Amino acid sequence: MNKSQKGGAAGLLAGLRKLNIPGILIGNIVLFVLFGLANERFLSSYNIMMIFRNTCTLLMAALGFTLVILIGKIDMSVGSVVSMAAVSVVVLYNAGVPVALALLLPLLIGIAVGVINGLLIAKCNFDFWVVTFGMMSVFAGLALVTTDGNTVAIKNDIVNWIGNGKIAGIYVVIWITVILAALMVWIQKKTKFGYDVFALGGSQAVASVSGINVVKTSIIVYALSGLFAALAGVLIACMTNSGSPAVGVDYTFNAMAAIVIGGTPFIGGKGGIGGTILGALLMKILASGLSLVGIPATWQKAITGFVIVALIIIDVVNDHRKNIKAQRRVYNNVG
Amino acid sequence: MDVKQDNVILRMTGITKCFPGTLALDKVQLTCEKGKVHILLGENGAGKSTLMKIISGVYTRDEGTVWYDGQEVNFTNVRQSMEAGISMIHQELNLLPERTIAQNIYLGHEPMVKGLKGVIDYKKMVKDSRELMDRLGLDLDPNILVKKLSIAQMQMVEVVKALSKEVKLVIMDEPTSSLTDREIDKLFEIVEKLKRDNVAIIYISHRMDEIKRIGDCVTVMRDGQYIDTVDVEDMDLDTLISMMVGRKIENMYERHYREPGKVIFETKDLSGWRFRNVNINVREGEIVSLSGLIGAGRTEIAKAVFGDEPIEHGSYTLYGKQITRTTPVKSVRNSMGYLSEDRKAEGLVLQMPIKENLVAASLTKVFKGGVLRSGPEDEIGKKYVAELRIATPNAEKLVGELSGGNQQKVVIGKWLETGCKFLIIDEPTRGIDVGAKSEIYKLLDRLVGEGYGILMISSEMNEVIGISDRVYVMKDGEITGEVTRENMTQEAIMRFAVGGKERAVNE
Repeated sequence: MNKSQKGGAAGLLAGLRKLNIPGILIGNIVLFVLFGLANERFLSSYNIMMIFRNTCTLLMAALGFTLVILIGKIDMSVGSVVSMAAVSVVVLYNAGVPVALALLLPLLIGIAVGVINGLLIAKCNFDFWVVTFGMMSVFAGLALVTTDGNTVAIKNDIVNWIGNGKIAGIYVVIWITVILAALMVWIQKKTKFGYDVFALGGSQAVASVSGINVVKTSIIVYALSGLFAALAGVLIACMTNSGSPAVGVDYTFNAMAAIVIGGTPFIGGKGGIGGTILGALLMKILASGLSLVGIPATWQKAITGFVIVALIIIDVVNDHRKNIKAQRRVYNNVG
Repeated sequence: MDVKQDNVILRMTGITKCFPGTLALDKVQLTCEKGKVHILLGENGAGKSTLMKIISGVYTRDEGTVWYDGQEVNFTNVRQSMEAGISMIHQELNLLPERTIAQNIYLGHEPMVKGLKGVIDYKKMVKDSRELMDRLGLDLDPNILVKKLSIAQMQMVEVVKALSKEVKLVIMDEPTSSLTDREIDKLFEIVEKLKRDNVAIIYISHRMDEIKRIGDCVTVMRDGQYIDTVDVEDMDLDTLISMMVGRKIENMYERHYREPGKVIFETKDLSGWRFRNVNINVREGEIVSLSGLIGAGRTEIAKAVFGDEPIEHGSYTLYGKQITRTTPVKSVRNSMGYLSEDRKAEGLVLQMPIKENLVAASLTKVFKGGVLRSGPEDEIGKKYVAELRIATPNAEKLVGELSGGNQQKVVIGKWLETGCKFLIIDEPTRGIDVGAKSEIYKLLDRLVGEGYGILMISSEMNEVIGISDRVYVMKDGEITGEVTRENMTQEAIMRFAVGGKERAVNE
């Protein structure tokens, strides 16, 4: 009661803090309201659907990547795998491979890249930066070689339906993404594998003395990162009816941004896919809103970057404050 | 000792383990019986933890045989030993701060939903955790994050975690090191209960009172070797200690006590992240120790004084200069030296040679006008290698290739070169073998003889008692007492460390 008597913004803020709503959700709502007020077209059902549709490929690439960051590592090869998969769909189909195989084989490539990454990093103890940077170059190069650097078109009804068709008025890509994202949230929250991922991120030493198979878990994590990157690539090929060797270039860093503003820190161990979903949405809401209020495309990148940095700073400052509090409180018993 | 064969759960013979450069275990043996508490005694570095890690499969042995529960075993990872019913409570906390108590207790063996392999039943996990904690007398909500607990509570969660599965053998590696009396009582009740359930317990401890209280037999180790096994009933404290140390304690701690000079360092109501209202002082020619349990706030004081963590209230004076805000750079200029407890991470650059490490805190001397002059660097290198008797052919050798004792000498040399007169030394002999320890003590004694003032932080009671002029004892971030040399005993210090002010006064 006395909280509300304080009144005004301060009371509201204090109340919100008590509810412990993650900052990223508030960020999403604030942007939504602001852009809605600035331009009524922003809140049209068409625009909202487009925001979701645009989020799909980014979120897809970030789903597996989140697990990698949760275990405190990085996968720089995500963007290259996206490109490679998009190109592969088109090249395989145009070479006469049946469409189902042309859509599935790129996923296997993604898993293979992930397994190699995981083996080199977890089993052979190579540095994860070096390994995934190397893979990034290899597959960026291979994607270029496969199409001679050109963008190649694909003409197939199934491919087009996946990319641009609708079920019950909602794009197929949205359905796919929602189902897979929900599945990943469930895996992360409810399965032994999900628990092991958090344990690894918290401390590899603790995980290992608790009988968790560190090597196996790391390899699966990287394999999933490769798989979802490839899935993103396949979806892009379907949505654009083409494969371009440069299409994935921005995906590594954009996915990383979505993950980190979603509340998974680079040291790993906390956060998770729920936050990543909101992070990816926020980036696309920003892009859509900025276009609609008439900010030129040339400025959008800088503004998006600014928002990301601001959100991360807020998070870090918050965390720091909490840590100091925890340091002081460590003697006071709880419970 | 005659041991009935059918009662033996674990028998290790001829266990040998080498690490690069050291022989950690040399033909060690150990036999444990069901329903008995087997105490493992030895100084730090005697090889107790290594032996336990071999049992639990963290390390693999180079030689020797392990018989467990009637058959020869060779655990190559922790999962195997866990499944065989061996559980270990580690000395360092093995918990995930960002996960809940329940998630930590069942880490690695979470209960699954029936019929769905790989899917975790969180509700059951919480329910089981609550039951388990009730049974062991720990009153906490299993849903709270571990980072919100106190250190003692974390230690108890660690105990619960170890007992959350079917166990036949429990290894406890100094489980009481950060517990209060009340929790120690609770833990010993648990131990009694385990004994009645016919569980074997290996208990590692330094504390003699504990041994008498719960032990059935004692095995002593020293420098990686098996010394002897005796029954607790016919145990004689003096022989036990001499078995442990291998020589008279007087040789180990050589101190020339002198009349101390003027006060050079004095804090006034100093408060920081984990300590409050600290008033201590150090005089010229004195070694003053900060003692207390792990997590009492000792290292935090050192870090705040040096400027690595903030001072929130109060101040200190160093050589008459009052300081309320400081940074490490300023502290070095104020002629203070700080030897961190983690010398490999915070004290040395392992992949650089000795001489470059020696000048690391006084670079202005070798970079005249911003350009490196190798002359002084070489001289400094030679000087300290000779003066501190660092065992190396020359000062070019990489610090990472030196033994722990010689590394510590390099860190000391680094600070002497800055010309500082006041040193804060956190855990001066951690990870250093017994022989090298006494050399470090001699070196510290020599320094205070030359007029240095030393503030030492140490968890090793023998060391604190052996070389300190005075001891301040801390508990929960406050100084609870001061013990001078005349009445310096382990009991006197522990009373302040565990019971705090009131209790010590009452007794």
